[in-house]
Amino acid sequence: MDELEFRRRIYTNPADSDQDLVDAAAQNPDNEAFWQEMKQLDDKLKMAADIPVPDDLANKLILRQTLREFNQQKRRNRWYIGLAASVAFTFGIGLTAWQQQHVQLDEAALAHMYYAETEQPHGTAEITPQLVNAKLAQFGAELDPSIGHIASVNYCLLDAIRSLHLIIETPEGRMSVFLVPEHDKPMNNDFADRSYHGSSYALHKTNILVVGDKGTNIPAFKSELKQHLKFSA
Amino acid sequence: MKEKTLRYEALVRALHGDIYRYAYWLTNDKSTAEDIVQETFLRAWRALDSLQDEKAAKSWLITILRRENARRFERKQFDLVDFDEVSVSGNEDQDSDAEVRQVRRAIGKLAPDYREPLMLQIIFGFSGDEIAAQLELNKNTVMTRLFRARAQLKEVLTSSSQQRGFQSG
Repeated sequence: MDELEFRRRIYTNPADSDQDLVDAAAQNPDNEAFWQEMKQLDDKLKMAADIPVPDDLANKLILRQTLREFNQQKRRNRWYIGLAASVAFTFGIGLTAWQQQHVQLDEAALAHMYYAETEQPHGTAEITPQLVNAKLAQFGAELDPSIGHIASVNYCLLDAIRSLHLIIETPEGRMSVFLVPEHDKPMNNDFADRSYHGSSYALHKTNILVVGDKGTNIPAFKSELKQHLKFSA
Repeated sequence: MKEKTLRYEALVRALHGDIYRYAYWLTNDKSTAEDIVQETFLRAWRALDSLQDEKAAKSWLITILRRENARRFERKQFDLVDFDEVSVSGNEDQDSDAEVRQVRRAIGKLAPDYREPLMLQIIFGFSGDEIAAQLELNKNTVMTRLFRARAQLKEVLTSSSQQRGFQSG
């Protein structure tokens, strides 16, 4: 190895301890002297490079991170609380809206059937065809008394609508007739639940729902009713 | 989270000193060095999960640090303060002896292209290959820069010690 190459390698890295460098230094005292000089320079460089580190730097770095993390955690928690609050709020609004949603008339009628079962007749006044027709007159309707014995005639609320509930004794059994003075309410033509079934039709802005016990002939009573219940308007 | 904190603390304790020193030699200024070390470890924390190999931590941190330093220069373009002038005045440390201060000044005056590979070698003990990988240079370029860095330092320090000799003699 020539001197130039030796110096180049030593300049590049004085800590290099390759055998060919060792050999070149052993053969040439100038090389050896240069190597020692460069090793000394490197010692100085190491000393100089070893800048004193601020005492508390490590703790500062850790503390900062801990605080930052803590704050982020707090912010994240706040975010979660915010989300939870808005979910609860939305749920509340939804629930209110759902509760305010109107049930269908047929469902209301069926529900009323169970209520009417336990209802005591109002007063003891005999139900005359005149009384029935006086009440029906408000709906612009008139009932031919030959349809059967009117067991009861009462106002009731179906889905918050003041309606008239008639219970008529027929050869088919007790039949309920609801008159609801709203024609645009959602409603099924035929409906049923576990105890009752029924059918509906609309006439002169009035919905008429016929409900009877399971097994009664609703279509027959319905056509019977259509013949006996007349609307004047 | 606990585990990540422990990992982070270990990383800080093991490497903050050398990272700070390297930052100092990148910036030639103590407070700037501290700032970019803070930034570096902040970014390191965020990306800590991506650090799989603990052995790679050193060069990973150096990469972050160098990026932070480059960012600082992008910001500096908008400042009117001449960074080099400021840094020289902040460079003096009183607690070191005259010779160490002289060597530090000499290192500080090296071109950054020469100073960086030299400091990777001196501070971190990186090999030529490792420096080349870290700085994304080819190995011959790295070797040439190391060679020139030492040659320049030797020249500066020899002539100044001769000068001192003249003055005292």
